[in-house]
Amino acid sequence: MSDYPSDSRSSRLDRRTFLKRTGVAGAAAVVAARLPAPVPASAQDMTVRPEAGAKRGGTLRYAVHNAPAHFDVHQSGTVANIGPQSPMYDTLLRRSPKDGQTIIPDLAWKWDISPDNRKYTFHLRKGVKFHDGADFTAADVKATYERIARPPKGVVIPRTPLFATVGDIVVVDPHTIEFRMTEPRPKAYMLGAFASGWNIIVRKKTLEENQGNLRQVMNYPGTGPFKHVSRKDKEVWIMERNPGYWNKGLPLIDRLEVYHFLPFTPELGASLLSGRVDYARLLDPVTWRKAREMKGVTAAAFNQSVIQAFWTNMQKNKALADRRVRRAIHLAMDRHTLVEVVKDTAPMQVGGFVYPFHEMSTPRAELEKKLGYQRDVTPAVQEARRLMKEAGYGGGIKNLDFVVRDIPTFKLWAVAIQAMLKEHLNIECNLRVVQTSVWFDEAQAGNFDLAISAIVSTLMDPSDIFSAWYGKDGPQNYSRWTNPAFHDVASQVEREIDDNKRKQLVRKAEDMLEQDPPLIPVAYEQIYDAWYNKVRGQNPSTYFGIYDVVRWDQVWLA
Amino acid sequence: MRKYLARRAAYAAVTLLGVSLSVFVILRILPGDPLVAILGVEGHARMTPADRVRIMADLGLSDPLPVQYARWLVDIAAGELGKSFFRGDTVAELILHRGPISAEIGILALVVSWLVGLPVGILSAFKPNSIPDGLARAMSVLFIAIPGFWLGMLIVLALLFWFGYKAPIIIVHFWQDPWQNLQIVIGPAVVLGLAQGAYIARMSRSCLLEVIGEDFVRTARAKGLREGLIVMRHALPNALLPVITISGVLLGFVLGGSVAVEQAFGVPGLGRALVTAVIERDIIVVQNLVLLYAAIFVLVNVLVDLSYAWLDPRIRYS
Repeated sequence: MSDYPSDSRSSRLDRRTFLKRTGVAGAAAVVAARLPAPVPASAQDMTVRPEAGAKRGGTLRYAVHNAPAHFDVHQSGTVANIGPQSPMYDTLLRRSPKDGQTIIPDLAWKWDISPDNRKYTFHLRKGVKFHDGADFTAADVKATYERIARPPKGVVIPRTPLFATVGDIVVVDPHTIEFRMTEPRPKAYMLGAFASGWNIIVRKKTLEENQGNLRQVMNYPGTGPFKHVSRKDKEVWIMERNPGYWNKGLPLIDRLEVYHFLPFTPELGASLLSGRVDYARLLDPVTWRKAREMKGVTAAAFNQSVIQAFWTNMQKNKALADRRVRRAIHLAMDRHTLVEVVKDTAPMQVGGFVYPFHEMSTPRAELEKKLGYQRDVTPAVQEARRLMKEAGYGGGIKNLDFVVRDIPTFKLWAVAIQAMLKEHLNIECNLRVVQTSVWFDEAQAGNFDLAISAIVSTLMDPSDIFSAWYGKDGPQNYSRWTNPAFHDVASQVEREIDDNKRKQLVRKAEDMLEQDPPLIPVAYEQIYDAWYNKVRGQNPSTYFGIYDVVRWDQVWLA
Repeated sequence: MRKYLARRAAYAAVTLLGVSLSVFVILRILPGDPLVAILGVEGHARMTPADRVRIMADLGLSDPLPVQYARWLVDIAAGELGKSFFRGDTVAELILHRGPISAEIGILALVVSWLVGLPVGILSAFKPNSIPDGLARAMSVLFIAIPGFWLGMLIVLALLFWFGYKAPIIIVHFWQDPWQNLQIVIGPAVVLGLAQGAYIARMSRSCLLEVIGEDFVRTARAKGLREGLIVMRHALPNALLPVITISGVLLGFVLGGSVAVEQAFGVPGLGRALVTAVIERDIIVVQNLVLLYAAIFVLVNVLVDLSYAWLDPRIRYS
């Protein structure tokens, strides 16, 4: 099957045609040279191909996060689904497995964006089949995206807000589909949303047969490189190569076995070190360091879109409603020490209110010159004390209820933060460790003064976190924080389609958050992977997160 | 005997009914929202009240509690045990798949506890206050004191770092591959068995010390019987009754201990399933597994009681 529509006309070339085409090509070259360079984050001619010298065959044993709670990838927010299920599905666009960032074709071989950014047209591949033998058409894309953008009752999809400005989704013909926007959004934002690993294409018929809810449907057909073989709950999910995969020559491995382990556990590490698995994700730092020293093993670290933070309940506690107190708490944190505290438990890095590794946020070197991020905390603590005094809390605050999620990193951090608050600001808090499900109940009900946990963004873009984490009614704005000036800037960031202007707005928003913190950033998570060198074709060192590149189609075994 | 059995069966049924009611009520009054695990953190944060109502109804959690309890009892009577909140797997499937591994661990642990505990107890009793007795007593205190999950972790790490070895990571049943199966169950069985063996050693030592002071043992010695024969034929059968009683109680510890030890060894048995279900707030799985453990405990204790009559002809159930 070709990726492009075949041309049935004669391929003969006469002198006149040759001269015409040469002229057109020359003119095009001149025009192209004067156009701005193409956005490097997307490349329409980069469909995944096998590496030179890649071999076929073998079984890859991959260990990742514990088993999924259900099977509906759209409704999920965890790698527990993406890890085992992604290889069975495709998306409209995808991130290149070479760098994890460049947006490349997937089921759409080409896309056009109207000059006013109000219409996205996707040209779909022909001849693609679902695993049950049905043809893939634009109707499936429409059904998938109608569900994501406007989920039925009882179906909750974390990516729905990304498509809030998608109006009509129009099937132009069986292999062309248009997304008409109610208002324009930045290209990088929308293309990123379409390339998100979560937005797998499922059959229209599958959705209809299950009333739009796939939580308990284990093996619904996809078009992906691997097909379901068997699954043992909380143990292993086994897949085999899809011989009819549209991308000829891929996948390269015959069988994929995905083993479920809790992240950062010795058990996961032991499975890799003993050779029971070939590739392990979400390793604990101790195992990762050991793997890095092992012969024949490669270890990589990469960024993840998760912020570790604690929230300050502004509605319940009058003192915490004062921005000076919150800034003082923010400045009293010795973040380099906090990263050090958990170095043997989970890999972390210092960061502020926007991912420290995003091109639009303050670069790390610049950030570490700011108060609150310096290695020497003395100036920051002095400023924090001044702010507390100015706010009328120079003598400190007593009896804060600090709700701690029952996860090793949070328990370690809570003790360290408690000590820092006491030592630097004379703020006394009582730690209350609770199970994860209780933590979210308490956080949403506002039953806390301080509460520590982690939250993930659904898209690696500041707009997503400005609305979900810091938005006035943002679902993860547990502090109940509002700042009209910030919300105004955030709204501009969401709508600005010029990248440079957008970057300036993001920096401005960051400065506002520094002065009036909606949460107190503790650290940003990193991911530790390690694999035996026989696994080739993938190195996640430059990947952003663990949700977009989990297909294994280009991976091969030496 | 029949009357006795019927009475014990009635007691057992009442006990299990009490357990089921307690577990059912406790799980429903505990704080925490199972929808966090089902929808994930982001999904849970974005859920509307209407979504919540719909999902709770789908899970059967919006019915009145008496209705939910009655439905569970009907499910148990039908042998279905209900479905996990997650993934839609039935609890019966879970028990059938993972139960054999946990049962093997429990039985092997009991065998290990007797194989280790009884000889050590006999040795200690017949050489009281000797060096072997002191050593045996010290070791038994040590194994009682060491938490099984900690010892398990040490064993796992030692095997990994010294020999690069880890037991198979998925369930392999005995009938599929006995060697692989043994690698999975032997570690937890030994750890659990050693701890219980320590109790048995101490109990058998004290019972034997009491028995060997009795007249009939002195008579046996006066007759010139060999020491081995005195122990095996005369002293031991009379000292075994309390040891068997404690074995029944210890099985409860084995069941309880297996939860942590399976977790430490990474054995995908019922204990580990229970831990995961508790973390996920999968109350259907938790309530059924707790009831299963309670049922096993009750059954073993009935069997222990019945074994008294077989071991001691003076005991009659009428």
